[in-house]
Amino acid sequence: MQILSKSAVVKIGVLLMHACLLLALPAKADNWLTNLFTDDILQVTVNDAFLNVYAAPGRGYPIFHVVERDEVITLIKSRTDWIKIKTKRNLVGWIKREDMKLTLSPNGEVPDFPELSQADYLEDRFEFGAAYGDFAGADGLSVNLGYRFTRNLAFEVRGAHNTGEFSDSEYLTGGIVFQPFPHWWVSPHLGIGAGRLKTFPSATLVNAEDREDSIMQASLGAYVHITGRLFLRTEVTNHYILTSRNTNEEVNEWKVGLNVLF
Amino acid sequence: MESRIKRVVLSALLSSLYLFSPLSFAQDDTDTSQKDNEELDKIITPDIERRRIKEDHLDSENFEIGVYSGTLSVEDFGTNTVAGVTIAYHITEDFFAEIDYGLTKTEETSYELLSGGVELLTDDQRDLSYYNASLGINFLPGQIYLWDRWAFNTNFYLIGGVGNTTFAEKKYFTYSYGGGMRFYTTDWLSIDFSLRDHSFEHELFGLPKKIHNIEGRFGLALFF
Repeated sequence: MQILSKSAVVKIGVLLMHACLLLALPAKADNWLTNLFTDDILQVTVNDAFLNVYAAPGRGYPIFHVVERDEVITLIKSRTDWIKIKTKRNLVGWIKREDMKLTLSPNGEVPDFPELSQADYLEDRFEFGAAYGDFAGADGLSVNLGYRFTRNLAFEVRGAHNTGEFSDSEYLTGGIVFQPFPHWWVSPHLGIGAGRLKTFPSATLVNAEDREDSIMQASLGAYVHITGRLFLRTEVTNHYILTSRNTNEEVNEWKVGLNVLF
Repeated sequence: MESRIKRVVLSALLSSLYLFSPLSFAQDDTDTSQKDNEELDKIITPDIERRRIKEDHLDSENFEIGVYSGTLSVEDFGTNTVAGVTIAYHITEDFFAEIDYGLTKTEETSYELLSGGVELLTDDQRDLSYYNASLGINFLPGQIYLWDRWAFNTNFYLIGGVGNTTFAEKKYFTYSYGGGMRFYTTDWLSIDFSLRDHSFEHELFGLPKKIHNIEGRFGLALFF
């Protein structure tokens, strides 16, 4: 049996060829994907009396060297708020990210290392968080992974694992989060979502069977900006469980967690 | 058939356009203006392209992935080898978030051993696994010196979090807390010594009992 016709194979081949060629275009070379495969040499010139060079990325580690004005240093990588550099004499150490303001790019401008404030995390960002809370008396643990495509709207997937005295449960849902005032320090958010809930009653209960139901969620909460990319997120969620029995169930959940935007 | 040949030929033509047009333009540039630039570059900045450096050009290394092994003492159920994996994200130089997952096999309780034939749990039920989502804080940064030759960076950390333990085919909500030390062999490879307590409440003996399971672990982690 022939799964793909000859012409389809030809089409796919040509498409792939185009895709490869597009990736190889020199004009398109300045994106993160191609940067992964090229060894760029990034060099800046020190534009202050001196910069301290630390032994490791942390303010408590010893300063073992200084680079002086007009010295050219090579940037290797970054970790948190630190940048690993190499000096002309091949000494390797770390400088503070904020010290990049005191250097010059090869074109004479200050390198573009923006001061990131809360507003910079509002758009085109991924969000990951974990939270602890209470799911109708059970201890709830949940994670969320989202993508914020405008300043006000994000799509997210949530998963939770609740451990209770009488039953355990797990849910996986997808939903939309709306944030009317994203720039506020304490910023309220509303959300709706839907997904599946699995319930596992304790083995000690009589006639208890595992069951799986659809759920709908409505939530209300707030983000509190802590520092940089880190946010505290609190939320109260109402779950409407569409059971296979005669009556549907409502469950309330509250949680508090930490979210990182990157 | 004819249309297919047409398509192939046209596609080939199109591809050749992709291939040669930007390159040929680039060729023109090198012939005239770039040559002059190169001369200038040699005088001002010897071997680097003159452009503004952006943070996006720089590779960031805030994630850490690791494996560990050690011993986990499960209260009443013996002390056994534990193995697991961790993934961490370094938020600032002080704080990091970590998720870990570990597995161990528990032993028979003293009661089961002394009584002879009694079996509280089946063989499968003796498997224990756990996961935790934790927040850690680094402190006491420092260096360790080996002879007069090497200096290694180290730091201590405290960590606490919540998670789930699966034991005897049931899940238990678990608090975990502890501390440890990271020893950086290079800035992207660290050795981790850590001591944690995983605490949960079970009713395997009839009445609720809160237990503390102490774990000592040795791990290796890569930053990427």
